[in-house]
Amino acid sequence: MIRYLTTELRKLFPYRTFWLFLLLYMGLLLLLLFSASQVQINNQAIGDNLYKFPDIWATLTYIASNFNLLLGILFITLITDEYAFRTIRQQVIDGLFRSDIILNKFGVVLLVGTFCSVYVFGLGLGFGLQHTPAATPAKVFSGSLHVVYYLVQALGYMSIAVFFAFLIRRNGLAIIAYLVYTKMIEPLIHWQIPDELDKYFPMKVFSSLTPMPGREVFETITGPTMQLSPQQAVLPALTYILLFYLLSYLLLKMRDL
Amino acid sequence: MNNILEIQNLSKRYPGVQALDNLNLTVEGGSTFGLLGPNGSGKTTTLGIVLDVLKASGGSFSWFGQPVSRATKRRIGAILETPNFYAYLSATQNLKIVADIKHVSYAAIDPVLETIGLLSRRHSAFKEFSLGMKQRLALGAALLGDPEVLVLDEPTNGLDPEGIAEVRELIRKVADQGKTIIIASHLLDEVQKVCTHMAVLQKGKLKVSGRVDAILNQHDQVIISTDELEKAFIFLQQLSQVKLIRKEKTELILSLSDGFSSADVNQVLFAQGIVLSQLTVRKKSLESQFLDIIRDQNTPAA
Repeated sequence: MIRYLTTELRKLFPYRTFWLFLLLYMGLLLLLLFSASQVQINNQAIGDNLYKFPDIWATLTYIASNFNLLLGILFITLITDEYAFRTIRQQVIDGLFRSDIILNKFGVVLLVGTFCSVYVFGLGLGFGLQHTPAATPAKVFSGSLHVVYYLVQALGYMSIAVFFAFLIRRNGLAIIAYLVYTKMIEPLIHWQIPDELDKYFPMKVFSSLTPMPGREVFETITGPTMQLSPQQAVLPALTYILLFYLLSYLLLKMRDL
Repeated sequence: MNNILEIQNLSKRYPGVQALDNLNLTVEGGSTFGLLGPNGSGKTTTLGIVLDVLKASGGSFSWFGQPVSRATKRRIGAILETPNFYAYLSATQNLKIVADIKHVSYAAIDPVLETIGLLSRRHSAFKEFSLGMKQRLALGAALLGDPEVLVLDEPTNGLDPEGIAEVRELIRKVADQGKTIIIASHLLDEVQKVCTHMAVLQKGKLKVSGRVDAILNQHDQVIISTDELEKAFIFLQQLSQVKLIRKEKTELILSLSDGFSSADVNQVLFAQGIVLSQLTVRKKSLESQFLDIIRDQNTPAA
């Protein structure tokens, strides 16, 4: 597994598209965080409230959750590339098993997820320290568990993307299917069926990991929507992640390469 | 004899097409085995199945007497259809990935690049390569780690005449080291030039298989001329060892059954008082035989 992970990195590091996506993710997140901190409501920068420890962690991970799709599309590109170049076929010929291929991709997902979470953690520290006058270590790290929830969420978004890539095998189509499912089909299903059920749907589970800050205030107007708490969502989210790799493996095993 | 590859009753169905129909084949160690057939005859399907990328609908195969495994895969170097590499990576970077998967030292990469004549281009991206260079890099990847068996699907595809000659030379060199080579090709000439054994596929069915020279000899034609052409014609027609006879203006063209040679023809005719002015054995080119084999719908599946 470790040996193959370095092999995966050999493919990634010289690949410009990979860096482009990563820089896009890092740059856009930073930009959005920075500009949101400047927004003024009633002559007061909202940053002062939302960017303080410990609130910053919830704010930050919620904002970062919007960029998970970018990571998902990166993985769709990486995997469909292997089909376009037929390298997936050659690697099975040369000695990999289909399970190796899935494990390799999971390894990269884990790596990218960890990298992004560390980045988010770093941003949290930076913005938090800037907006919190008297930051004590206890204050700083209380609530930093949100970054772990964010990691699970990012893994979830990338894992469902991995599944769509193995299912559809073509870059453009897979990206469209991924976006249509995550942004349209699932929300439509949520609309149609009771909250009691739809809170267990994958995208809803993933989004429950980083709830919108100040949602309580919002819901006094719109009425409560039922949603798992981040703690409750971890286990279902991990189950979905496992399921997506299992399904990808079955797809690989069943079909010709 | 140690069998490298054994294929039993292998079948592959695609919707509406029987791509492979109950194929039985054995490749012996040390042979250069040509899998010959027109496009769509099932060559690539056969190789795809034994290389573990296509699923068989029925039948089985074994490498070195074992089912396919990590260990068997590492003993085989293979090209299937197209050269498959990362377009944005250089030749060396691509071969490093192959080396990782085959558990081969990176030190083996430069010698292979030297062999295939790409050492000076080792830092160029794969996408900048010409078709011939891509094909050679694929050959290099297959050679990496010095495998016991080479499986090459249309190895000279896209090469210029010089490249074709080089690849054939390379194949011969590898074969001389006692390695087993399996080549799929629609080029008869290629099989004739480099193979010791061959099998002919048509529409997923095996038409014939065996040693190339045995298959060649099987259908030799004997051409005779004599002053008494008519008499010889009548006599030979009655002879059971003469399978086919055709009379031309000044000669007779015969096709003989196994064990009955051109010398025997000479002898029986001489006993009849017919003296031959000319006797020639014409080895049919593999091409015309190949066409015969494919045309002859009655050839029993071997």
